[in-house]
Amino acid sequence: MATATEKVDRGAATHPDVGSYTEVNTDILAMLSRPGKWWWILLGLSVAGIGLLAFSWGNQLINGIGLSGLNSPVGWGAYITTFVFWVGIAHSGTLISAILFLFRARWRQSIYRAAEAMTVFAVMTAGLFPLIHLGRAWHAYWLFPYANQRMLWPNFRSPLVWDVFAVTTYFTVSSLFFLLGLIPDIAAARDQSKPGTLRKTFYTLTSFGWRGTDRQWHHFGKAYLFLAALATPLVLSVHSVVSWDFAMSIVPGWHATIFAPYFVAGAIFSGVAMVITLMIPIRKVFGLEKFLTVRHFDAMAKLILVTGLIVFYAYLNEFFMAWYSGEDPERRVFWERLFGHYWWATWIMLLCNGIVPIMLWFKRVRHSIAALFVLTIFVNIGMWFERYVIIVTSLSTEYVPFAWGVYRPSFTEMGIVIGTFGWFFFWFLLFIRLLPPVALAELKEVLPPPMRPKSKQEEVAR
Amino acid sequence: MSDGIKRRDFLKVLGVTGAGAGLVGCSTDKVNKLIPYVVPPEEITPGVATWYATACGECSAGCGVWVKTMEGRAVKLEGNPNHPVSGGALCARGHSALQGLYDPDRLKQPMRRSAEGFEPISWADAEALLASELGSAGAATLFLSGHTGPTLGELMDGVAQAIGGRRVAYEALSEAPLREAARIAFGRDEIPTYDFEAADLIVSFGADFLETWGSPVEQSRGFARSSGVSDDGSKARFVFLGSRLSLTGQNADEWYPIRPGSEGLVALALAGAVARRGGNAGPYADLLAAYDVAGAAEAAGIPAGSLEDLADHLASASSPLVLGPGVAGQHRNATAANLAVLVLNAVSGAVGSTLRFASPVNGIPATPYADVAEAIGQMSGGAVRALVVHGTNPAYTLPTASGFAEAMGQVGFKVVITPGMNETAALADLVLPEQQPLEAWGDSSPRPGLWAIQQPAMRPVPHFDSRSAGDILLGVARALGADLGAETFHDYLRNRWSDRHAAAGAPGASFSEFWREVLRTGVVELEAPARSEAALQPPDRALAFDAPLLDGEADGLTLLVHPSSRFADGRGANRTWLQELPDPVAKITWHSWIEMHPDTASERGFRRGEIVRVASPHGEVELPVWTYPGIRADTVAIAMGGGHENTGRWADGRGVNPMALLPAEAEQVSGALVHLATRVTVEPTGRHRRLASIEGQSQTFDRPITPAVELGLIGELHGDDYGDYEQLRELQGMGGFVPVPTDGRPEDYPLEGARYGDYDPATNARWAMAIDLDKCTGCSACITACQSENNIAVVGEDQIMMGRDLHWIRLERYYETVDATQPGPVDIRFLPMLCQHCGNAPCEPVCPVYAAYHTPDGLNGQIYNRCVGTRYCANNCPYKVRVFNWYGYSDVPEPLNWQYNPDVTVRAEGVMEKCSFCVQRIRGAENRATAEGRDLREGEVVPACQQSCPAEAIVFGNIRDPESRVAQVSQNDRTYRVLDVLINTQPAVNYLRKVTFHPVKDIHV
Repeated sequence: MATATEKVDRGAATHPDVGSYTEVNTDILAMLSRPGKWWWILLGLSVAGIGLLAFSWGNQLINGIGLSGLNSPVGWGAYITTFVFWVGIAHSGTLISAILFLFRARWRQSIYRAAEAMTVFAVMTAGLFPLIHLGRAWHAYWLFPYANQRMLWPNFRSPLVWDVFAVTTYFTVSSLFFLLGLIPDIAAARDQSKPGTLRKTFYTLTSFGWRGTDRQWHHFGKAYLFLAALATPLVLSVHSVVSWDFAMSIVPGWHATIFAPYFVAGAIFSGVAMVITLMIPIRKVFGLEKFLTVRHFDAMAKLILVTGLIVFYAYLNEFFMAWYSGEDPERRVFWERLFGHYWWATWIMLLCNGIVPIMLWFKRVRHSIAALFVLTIFVNIGMWFERYVIIVTSLSTEYVPFAWGVYRPSFTEMGIVIGTFGWFFFWFLLFIRLLPPVALAELKEVLPPPMRPKSKQEEVAR
Repeated sequence: MSDGIKRRDFLKVLGVTGAGAGLVGCSTDKVNKLIPYVVPPEEITPGVATWYATACGECSAGCGVWVKTMEGRAVKLEGNPNHPVSGGALCARGHSALQGLYDPDRLKQPMRRSAEGFEPISWADAEALLASELGSAGAATLFLSGHTGPTLGELMDGVAQAIGGRRVAYEALSEAPLREAARIAFGRDEIPTYDFEAADLIVSFGADFLETWGSPVEQSRGFARSSGVSDDGSKARFVFLGSRLSLTGQNADEWYPIRPGSEGLVALALAGAVARRGGNAGPYADLLAAYDVAGAAEAAGIPAGSLEDLADHLASASSPLVLGPGVAGQHRNATAANLAVLVLNAVSGAVGSTLRFASPVNGIPATPYADVAEAIGQMSGGAVRALVVHGTNPAYTLPTASGFAEAMGQVGFKVVITPGMNETAALADLVLPEQQPLEAWGDSSPRPGLWAIQQPAMRPVPHFDSRSAGDILLGVARALGADLGAETFHDYLRNRWSDRHAAAGAPGASFSEFWREVLRTGVVELEAPARSEAALQPPDRALAFDAPLLDGEADGLTLLVHPSSRFADGRGANRTWLQELPDPVAKITWHSWIEMHPDTASERGFRRGEIVRVASPHGEVELPVWTYPGIRADTVAIAMGGGHENTGRWADGRGVNPMALLPAEAEQVSGALVHLATRVTVEPTGRHRRLASIEGQSQTFDRPITPAVELGLIGELHGDDYGDYEQLRELQGMGGFVPVPTDGRPEDYPLEGARYGDYDPATNARWAMAIDLDKCTGCSACITACQSENNIAVVGEDQIMMGRDLHWIRLERYYETVDATQPGPVDIRFLPMLCQHCGNAPCEPVCPVYAAYHTPDGLNGQIYNRCVGTRYCANNCPYKVRVFNWYGYSDVPEPLNWQYNPDVTVRAEGVMEKCSFCVQRIRGAENRATAEGRDLREGEVVPACQQSCPAEAIVFGNIRDPESRVAQVSQNDRTYRVLDVLINTQPAVNYLRKVTFHPVKDIHV
């Protein structure tokens, strides 16, 4: 009985308003069958974004990468900025699902599915950019070590090749993790859908014959644990490798040992912020208040606060180290960041990532859904600008002053950057309509098991 | 078995289907003609260059050039090392002659004016029309020509005589005042020759002798030899007096920012001061006594004491040389100013040593503007019935106020002989396409006794039905019944050379052998350059030495209109190489600008790029401001060469023509057009533009980029001391990377840490370069030479504005000391930045596909085929020498694509490129050596930049060979490598510090 009480308490603590397993099934699966007006509008916008992406990129492929605003000395700009941004976003999904799973942080149950989906789609979005930014995108496959008669291999010393491996590995593992976790829930959806519909067929195929037997649960649990363990180091490695694209170079402003932890912290910071930004509207539209409680948001906000402080510390550390280095090239880049041509970008970054998250010290802010929504949008903007500042200001003010130059993003670049948001949301919107966006099975684990009511009184209370 | 397919049947079927597939595969709609010769012409071996010696026709300096032709097409120009003027070097304008040849805007056939513009006509009709018109005009025919070769000039005079007309030879950039001053001072009606190499003190009153004045290539060489520090530590001092630092001025050691127009007074005062110190003023002693230093200093707006210092230098110098105000300084008292300068030369003892007069008098003098003005008068008065214009573009180069265009309208029949359309041709009745110098016969005589033949380097470009001016004129003469003794201009030229050969005492075996020999070498010294003494004689006319009158409001800014070092008077404006060549001073491409002192600009609230309206009493133009600390606050400057209207697709509508602001006025004494004549008002228009400039930041922030050393301190530079970098070095040591100190000793190579590539020191060369920054004048000839050799595409104005310059050499220019308010040292540093071919190259490890890699002989290779365009290498290049093909820039209209060098890949869109150390020349020389079974010889590999450098600042070779010049030059106390101490890149380019006379901050490198 003691066990049952404990479970009741735990369930009450995380989801005090969720009553029964049935309620979970009906409420969550209802999301799959209720195509609201807003969903169609958003999907339309996303498709328009994809159209913009296709048009801009196609135009660039036909006419040349010159349609970007890039130049000498600024060879990387909005594309790589947005690449790093999306890779960063992709971080929190695996963090929430794998690391928090291993640490048994129970509050993850109702958000991790959406976060994982976000991860997969963000990597899919990020993965476009290395192709988009190439001068000859049609030769992108040369970066892969494929067997060929001429024995030409990629240069394994190049951080870009590491990047290829890091991102593809991350995509593979996070997709597998995402899809594996979905199996029992898809089976639940399958069981509820009408026979003979396309949906039924789709769920039947994707649930891989899941019947919920003990044996299946046993294997599922092992596999899930195994994948969680496999995904965990990737959380750290992917963004470390991405940061090495910069840190391994000798560009002042890039060449810093702090980059790997700084980028990982920044990625979690931005990823969790993006989860909140996405979950708040979903919660509202689908009426999931009882599944996504204030407590969940509070926990995520704490995560933002911690990583935000690390990021802000890294900023200050960078400035200090630049001054401490005593070298003019290093010092001037940071001086230029604050007061040079791109001062506005730097101050946006400092404000959004350094100052605004400090408000999360206050419980009232953490518990206000509206405040969190606004605040996380600030963080998203700030994190995009962080990468922009790192990439653009460093390149524009390098060693040889006569070669300094200024970069301005072009319409094509803006079209592509905006278009990739359409691409991301397109997948995300399909996801929330086609796959259970909240993990049914795991949610049920934290709920009190269905038991015969002890008394009439209790039943009434329920 | 019998039922199945027999082996033979199977093979038959296989054979038939295979052949069928093969036939289908052999589509015939895309047959590429590789080498279409059935019977190969003599002298042409596919893939092997044939070189022809000829003469450069771009300016009157008359440099000798070698033209590289491949498969019958000219692909590259180089200076002819046998030629005493060019000495193997060539300027940017000379290189661009190739683009003149292949200019797609050249005339395709003769054109006649019709109701709606021009209509094509045949050569036969054109010649008949020309002959009948000239025949009927007779004595009322005026020939207006520019600078021509001596023989073509004679022919033109001959034809003019036969018709009864006359010829006026007009050069926009004339040195008439100097010539007249020489006549007054020494009784010599000629331009003196200068020996820059022998001078130990060079004083220029604004003469741009490194850019457009005189013979720039020859003078650059002489200047670099004297002002570049020699092994014994001697170095000529160069003092520049003028209101604006031209490129020449930027090379000065001291700058006296004197008020424009005060040159005559200052020169006289200096002459007086030198005379008081023991100089002999001869008949000018009385005149000099009337001008004192204090008065001149006040007129010039500088302290008197500084002029006394300069007089001390002049008096104590053993071979000084003083140069006149040049073309930009031609004002209303220009002859007097030039005379004052010649007197100063005489008093200082330069005449006879560094300044000489040659004998006999050289060629036919170009007529000054006054004669053209007279001709314009006749034209508008109706006295000219037929006008033949050749080799000059007066409708563009004369001030708008001269009324040339209107006067030309009054002439009954106007014919212009020109390779391409221009402003004057647009006004003509008949336009005849002329051949370019590279496809026509001609000759040149850059100075007395020195003769060169201009021979065609290739058959005329087939896209254009053109003829040489000589042939056209001979045809006219024939039609009019005059016999000039030759059918073609080639014969005429040969006849005249035969006469000259005979007159010179028939050197050599026979004329035909002599002729062949001259064609081979390109140049001949027919008479030894006799030097004749010159002594001052009293002036035969009264001259005013005072500051000249200037038009315009007294509080306006003095306008300096100066020849452009890229376009001279504007003639090369349709050549993309020149348009895209950053101006050596302003670093601006493709458009005009007005130079203004930053104080003047900020007073008026102008930013860089602000478009202003510049108005003089004679006209107005609108152009953007470029702020420049090297110009006096009361002066503004505009370069000639912009604002074309009918010249071609790349010239038209770009920039402005400052001649619109000038009065059409001749200087009273010499008849030259006055250039320094007016003050202007500068008003904002409220508009702004991005300058198409390649300039980032012109300060080094004391980074180890362009250190200099004071003259006396060479030899005392630190050896193994790391100064400020000691701590950094310790840190680098912890990481295992330590910059390797070397003074360029061959035994140091390969440097420790040069870790990429199969570098076998036992067998391989280490290709390296040494650039002496004490010699580099920043002239930018190397940039165009490199562009021509390496097929570097032109990107256009909008791309330059975006920062997508594609040049492989960036001539960086840093201001160290520039003060336009008072006389003093001026220190502007040049740094030709090219790929440093680092031993420890940051670009190589970051390339994901090995497009950037290290060759076994130490080159930093770039494989265009393999490049996918991540641009990571460019990001990681600390020197920023990697440039990217953002678009497919190499598509150019036919036949401009003929300019491409077949030895070098034409790059496609989306790939990175950079300096290759002219790897095609290295491999070519290696192959030659292998074929001949020998080792590579020192000096056999000469990259295009070194080949072209007029200052001889660049040396290339195998630094591992102790005998090589690059090793010898690099073993110098001044040697350093850019940024190496900071980032340990181990560049293969060794720079030698600039040497100054004033103390400079010691930057550790």
